[in-house]
Amino acid sequence: MVPVRPETKMGPVGGRQLSQIETFYDVMRTQGITRRSFMKYCSLTASALGLGPAMVPTIAHAMETKPRTPVIWLNGLECTCCSESFIRGAHPLAKDVVLSMISLDYQHVLMAAAGHAAEAALDEAMEKYKGQYILAVEGNPPLNEDGMFCISAGKPFVEKLRHVAKDAKAIISWGACASYGCVQAAKPNPTQATPVHKVITDKPIIKIPGCPPIAEVMTGVITYMLTFDRLPELDRQGRPAMFYGQRIHDKCYRRPHFDAGQFIEEWDDENARKGYCLYKMGCKGPTTYNACSTIGWNEGTSFPIESGHGCIGCSEDGFWDQGSFYDRVTDLTQFGVEKNADQVGLVAAGVVGTGIAAHAAVSALKQAQKKSQSSKEEV
Amino acid sequence: MSDRNLLVGPFNRVEGDLEIRLEVADGQVAAAYVNSPLFRGFEPMLLGKAPQDALTITPRICGICSISQSAAAAQALAAAAGATPTPQGALVAALLHGVENMCDHLTHFNLFFMPDFARPAYQGRDWHDHAISRFTAMQGSGLRQATEARAQLLHIVGLLGGKWPHTLAIQPGGVTRAPTARDRIRISSTLAAFRRYLEDVLFGAPVEDFIALTTGEAARNWSTGDAGTFMQIADDLGLASSGPGPGRYLSFGAYPMEDGRSFGPGLWEADSWRAVNTDEIGEDLSHAWMLGKTAHPRDGQTEPDEDMSDPGYSWCKAPRLAGQTIETGAFARQVVDGHAMALDLARHGSSVFARVAGRLLEIARTQVLLEKWARDITPEARFLEQVAVPQEGVGEGLLEAARGSLGHWLRIEGGKIAGYQIIAPTTWNFSPRDAGGVPGPLEAALVGAPVAEDEDTPLSVQHIVRSFDPCMVCTVH
Repeated sequence: MVPVRPETKMGPVGGRQLSQIETFYDVMRTQGITRRSFMKYCSLTASALGLGPAMVPTIAHAMETKPRTPVIWLNGLECTCCSESFIRGAHPLAKDVVLSMISLDYQHVLMAAAGHAAEAALDEAMEKYKGQYILAVEGNPPLNEDGMFCISAGKPFVEKLRHVAKDAKAIISWGACASYGCVQAAKPNPTQATPVHKVITDKPIIKIPGCPPIAEVMTGVITYMLTFDRLPELDRQGRPAMFYGQRIHDKCYRRPHFDAGQFIEEWDDENARKGYCLYKMGCKGPTTYNACSTIGWNEGTSFPIESGHGCIGCSEDGFWDQGSFYDRVTDLTQFGVEKNADQVGLVAAGVVGTGIAAHAAVSALKQAQKKSQSSKEEV
Repeated sequence: MSDRNLLVGPFNRVEGDLEIRLEVADGQVAAAYVNSPLFRGFEPMLLGKAPQDALTITPRICGICSISQSAAAAQALAAAAGATPTPQGALVAALLHGVENMCDHLTHFNLFFMPDFARPAYQGRDWHDHAISRFTAMQGSGLRQATEARAQLLHIVGLLGGKWPHTLAIQPGGVTRAPTARDRIRISSTLAAFRRYLEDVLFGAPVEDFIALTTGEAARNWSTGDAGTFMQIADDLGLASSGPGPGRYLSFGAYPMEDGRSFGPGLWEADSWRAVNTDEIGEDLSHAWMLGKTAHPRDGQTEPDEDMSDPGYSWCKAPRLAGQTIETGAFARQVVDGHAMALDLARHGSSVFARVAGRLLEIARTQVLLEKWARDITPEARFLEQVAVPQEGVGEGLLEAARGSLGHWLRIEGGKIAGYQIIAPTTWNFSPRDAGGVPGPLEAALVGAPVAEDEDTPLSVQHIVRSFDPCMVCTVH
């Protein structure tokens, strides 16, 4: 039962002394999480990531021995829906653990400090974990009028974003805002709201689109990155393939009705009561890559199609400017159930070179780490 | 004591961004200027779009009160089409909305408001150790219990609305989900579990006992649960005389149903009630970075002043009712609805204490309403009527979000949106000065707040600001 003390295994990290190394497991223990809960958490994580029981000891070992990866969470032009989704987390335990891990550094919506003290905490975290931290961005910077539409601590958010991104190891773009722009970028995009990857071009960025993203996807991705210290496999758009590999349509429980040509013709009609397909009501499930139809929302309770409303495609780029949300999808080409976004995209665009972006991102993350470690060793 | 100017912000534990400039003299705030530094331009981007798209776009103004925005948009569309939702559709919409409002109140109390009392500045007070263990930001035991209870309660929204935040189920003619008898049982059992949380943790007694309180004195003497902790702290710090309001309370009325609104609409001023005439609303732009003249939202426009020229100091417009500032929120709603305890508190004037006590009262009352609505679900009934959106028309959507009165004003021309204006609760409460130089409600409430010589982020200011439960992303949108 006695955990292996981490300092017997690890070399110096981030310029700190051996005795000061703080692992994920240490953090969890100080948060009052028991060994039993910890092991349960590792199993949950393994299953959420589709890794299977054999990976549980690997995850546990990593969390006991690896130094905690710090996370800084910034909010730009946004509606806080990502934070809201995140704090009602997946499993209560997963939420507690992940929150306690990320909470230690900087989280605008929930943290204790206010005003200048909060800004000081940010500077301190950046300095202490230079090159080591993951930057999680909720919302995006508006560039119009020199960024004056989103001012944080007297400066345009875009400056804060650039400043904090400079020393980050990798960036997570939470939600449709950070990933693509979202509704605030709808024509005429009054503030010129711009996704993170168009402003920060020299860091590995993982996109977790959705408005908001599913809580389990958020905790799953962040746990994966913290545990394995690398990005999960990404598709060509930079989304984690494990969650965005299939269309809503592919795993939709109403799919048999689509195949049988049984559709709802108008709201709350006889067919709606029978649970027929919502395609004619404008459902964007056939063109949307996300995990709603498998993971579900609000701890797996339901998802929009199950509530009788079509999918609006909120995890796809440009979903806000595709005509009315109630227009039928007309450019639907039939693909097999097992095709992922890359394959479909390739067929559509006729491009070769799948996964280049993903591999580049992963190696960039690794390089970034190597660089920071070797620079530390030189000192 | 020296006179000085302070710039307080950014405020965390607030939805969105907020910055306040304070002029301090003789150890207290002499004048306050509230700046909402975040503008996204939802109103201009709605122009030219299909009217139904407002149902998807406006909820995304805010991730914490998205159902309020979606219900207001649905109401404005229904009004433009001359339609009303089916009675059972309205009932389910009320359930969805009531759950969201309840969750917002719970989040405010536990995650945004109470953590300030765990600050080291209060060391040595009788209640401080308890406040630390219950309400330390992100760690307190109370926060964990509340987050857990809230996630469970939101299962109801999951079930009826498919997802939260940004639920799509509410439509002009009702809701897309027709609940089954099984759903009804599940909703009732979720509510029963939530009642246990309220009675074991928040109130430490049956919610009916709290609802039965008739005076401010009785509320102050409430000693059990986290509510009791708040009462003790409020008493010790004199929060009942902190952050006075304008004494005019507005409510559009909450939860429209076939037989009226569960919390009634109106304006309460000088111990008397009158009906609200929305024609009296005008949005003043004199101190906002907005171009144009004072206008009723029906005719209003949103054109940002890119030069951000003086005397403007905020993106927020200044809505006024008959030229006057008003306070809106849970406390105002309970006052307007005529609850005895709220009325008694209102007689002594609005305050940090009254606002939080009003919110607790509303939590208790909403629990009872939700349970009734769940019982009233009739699975065989119709939940959604087809509503054809007209080519031309105007519509007004008025309701009560958790933080107060929310209005959507829609104009349709040629089948497209030709005008869309939104006034959110915090737009009222956190508005800048108007052409007459009259400060907004928060600006006025801050005057007189004590500021210690060594304070850069005055605690009194933090309590007053958060007592309104601001939602800055809604304020300007």
